[in-house]
Amino acid sequence: MLFRKGWTTRIAMVFAVIGPGFITANVDNDAGGIATYSVAGAQFGYSLLWLMIPITVALVMIQEMSSRMGAVTGKGLSDLIREEFGFRATFLLMAALFATNFFNIVSEFAGVASSFELFGIPPYIVVPVAAFVVWGLVVHGTYNSIEKIFLSASAFYIAYVVSGVLAHPDWKAAALSTVTRPESIGFRNYSYLSMVIAMVGTTIAPWMQFYLQASVVEKGVTARQYNALRLDVIIGCLFAAIVAWFIVVACAATLHTTGVYDIKTGSQAAQALRPLAGEYAYLLFAAGLFNASLFAACILPISTAYAVCEGLGFESGLDKRFHEAPAFYWLYTLLIVFGAGVLLIPRFPLFRVMVLSQVANGILLPFVLIFVLLLINDRELMGKYTNSRWYNVVSWITVGVMIALTIGMVVAQIRGG
Amino acid sequence: MSIVALSELLGASVRDASGTLRGRVREVAVAPQDHPTRVAYLIVGTPDGERILQAGDVLSCGATVRTDTDSRHWERTTPSDGVLLLKRDLLDQQIIDVHGRKVVRVNDVELDSTPINSHLLLNVRSVDVGARGAVRRLAKGLVPAFTLRALLEKIPRRVIPWHFVDLLETDPARRVKLKIAYEGLSKLHPADIADIVEDLPPAERESVFETIDEEVAAEALEELDPRVQVSIVESLDSDRAADIVEEMDPDAAADLLGDLDADRSGQILREMEPDERREVTQLLEFGEHTAAGRMTTEFIAVPETSVVDQAIDALKTFEGSREALATIYLTGDGNRLTGAVPLVTIAISSPTARLSELSEPYVACAPDTPQDEVAALFDKYNLITLAVVDEHGRLAGIITADDVITMLRHS
Repeated sequence: MLFRKGWTTRIAMVFAVIGPGFITANVDNDAGGIATYSVAGAQFGYSLLWLMIPITVALVMIQEMSSRMGAVTGKGLSDLIREEFGFRATFLLMAALFATNFFNIVSEFAGVASSFELFGIPPYIVVPVAAFVVWGLVVHGTYNSIEKIFLSASAFYIAYVVSGVLAHPDWKAAALSTVTRPESIGFRNYSYLSMVIAMVGTTIAPWMQFYLQASVVEKGVTARQYNALRLDVIIGCLFAAIVAWFIVVACAATLHTTGVYDIKTGSQAAQALRPLAGEYAYLLFAAGLFNASLFAACILPISTAYAVCEGLGFESGLDKRFHEAPAFYWLYTLLIVFGAGVLLIPRFPLFRVMVLSQVANGILLPFVLIFVLLLINDRELMGKYTNSRWYNVVSWITVGVMIALTIGMVVAQIRGG
Repeated sequence: MSIVALSELLGASVRDASGTLRGRVREVAVAPQDHPTRVAYLIVGTPDGERILQAGDVLSCGATVRTDTDSRHWERTTPSDGVLLLKRDLLDQQIIDVHGRKVVRVNDVELDSTPINSHLLLNVRSVDVGARGAVRRLAKGLVPAFTLRALLEKIPRRVIPWHFVDLLETDPARRVKLKIAYEGLSKLHPADIADIVEDLPPAERESVFETIDEEVAAEALEELDPRVQVSIVESLDSDRAADIVEEMDPDAAADLLGDLDADRSGQILREMEPDERREVTQLLEFGEHTAAGRMTTEFIAVPETSVVDQAIDALKTFEGSREALATIYLTGDGNRLTGAVPLVTIAISSPTARLSELSEPYVACAPDTPQDEVAALFDKYNLITLAVVDEHGRLAGIITADDVITMLRHS
């Protein structure tokens, strides 16, 4: 009996902490992420699956640092950057974060709109409704109630696992290419390499660092609960990676094998799946896209408003009234109104903006990661919770590779238009 | 007298008696043990390391700082815990705005510069938390100084006078040296203190509760969200935690200790005074969500034979919460509850009136009454207080309306 009690308390402890890491990792499979994984599967079949393991490791490491920083310091990332690096650096970073996240928000609302277009519902109905839902949900919820909604939304990602199964993939080939070393010949192929870069770039985005750290702080997790917190990050990243794996597999098993290589977005992937994998796979894929986009559209505006206001010292928080925290509410409202509103402009260059959002993420990411690594090794700030030496070596290498790849992606995107 | 901004002063060139450029201002130091606002010295970065320029030797300051001393006589800086370094400790950090009752971030610091006998006296005047300081720091070095000054004039000034500023410091030894005692914060209403504390990071929260008066700390703690209460009490050492818990209302203290893990609440209970410990342990034995778990054992009960004057004496010596004063309970043989007199009736009756004649019908419930039934009783009878009686009819404790509001808000 004693053993069972210990075991259940431990489970309860994990559940008390679970949330921030799990949610962040899952929001990462947003409209842009789904599009990238679908394209990867359609164009290259199973041959890019090897990338899932290194991506997951990098994601876990980077997320782990953010959540550790939140738990130890009790402060958000933008607060720490302001306190350690001064006003000017913070201002520039916050301006860049605002612009980048704006483009991301546009592409999330575009994801919502395109998933409904699959069912014949036009954007000028869907987009305003979605914007209103996003605005209302966050303004009228508390952290705990929203977390529950978000955690349930994360469960809907299973839709992708099911549609992957319905696509009847070649399990053995898929499993093998996940664990085998990639053939070096692929890297000399320009489009293969740029796909590698895109997959890495879409998985680790700058906003995640801010959002994750802020929600760890808001949840009140402290350094003592750190083990459970790390588990939350690891489980979340694994789940997100499994979902991504199934998206690639679903598209590889159907689109790639039948020669449908030319898709660009998640909704095109869903459409192409319909005749190949059947009605259910199509519906699940489309529903998954809707869920993922709306989920990310909920999180991005609020996390941006929080990060910017905290960094620049504006009053922030949903418990404040409009006149008490005007900058906060204005930023939040502007991001939603314009982020959704631009989609209603006729002939809006949507695909361009989606590419632009990836480029902006790529440009911002190195700066954010370097700030994270500098802060986490600050002994005055982190005490005994700084990175160990080997962890530092691995994380600097990871960050170095990430930076090299994202610079590569930005160059490729600009060249490719 | 004129105002100099810290951000203007930082990086300013320093010229000594011979008029030669000797270095740039790196830091501005205040020694609170000597004077609470006066700048003690500037730290100047010279080619030969960081040197101290005593504030008394400064002739003028602005984009250029002039002194009449020779740079060869400037001392080397040594790290010191006892001085407040305005750039490191204040700029971009959070402080408590006591007047505005909130936590704000410092954009810039304003200094008063007063010429006295051809020398300057620099004093910290206020902290800038508005757009003016922000724009000054953004544009510094990028826009010509006079253009910038003209531009800044147009931006409304938003500052907090220095005597309304409470600095935050998490290191207890340094708090003593810098004379940081959260004096302004302690004078606020406990509910305001609680609001401010909720906006602080955990280490700063802990530092507030380590420093302020126990009674104030106890009242503020009661106003906090239970989750925050737990995290604060867990971070304090059990001696200090016990001192604060003793000052809390026994029902609030019992709720809090019930939320802590058993080891921790045991440690705190052991450190408490025997009387307070007994009251709290009694309450802890009941379920948290019952009438007994919600009641306080600090109430006013007088023998039913008493007169109004005696009730007033009891009021004068009562140490419990003010909410519990709303009703004076009457007890008969063996502490059995026999009546209740509202405070208003006491106030308007003659000093010699018998309380048993003033008594009104009262409502009571059993200790194991679930809390939602307690709330229903308050609603139905429009109660301010509710008596809790045990199986022998003895008055065990009372529940006050504010407890019910808290209970409803948290369920």
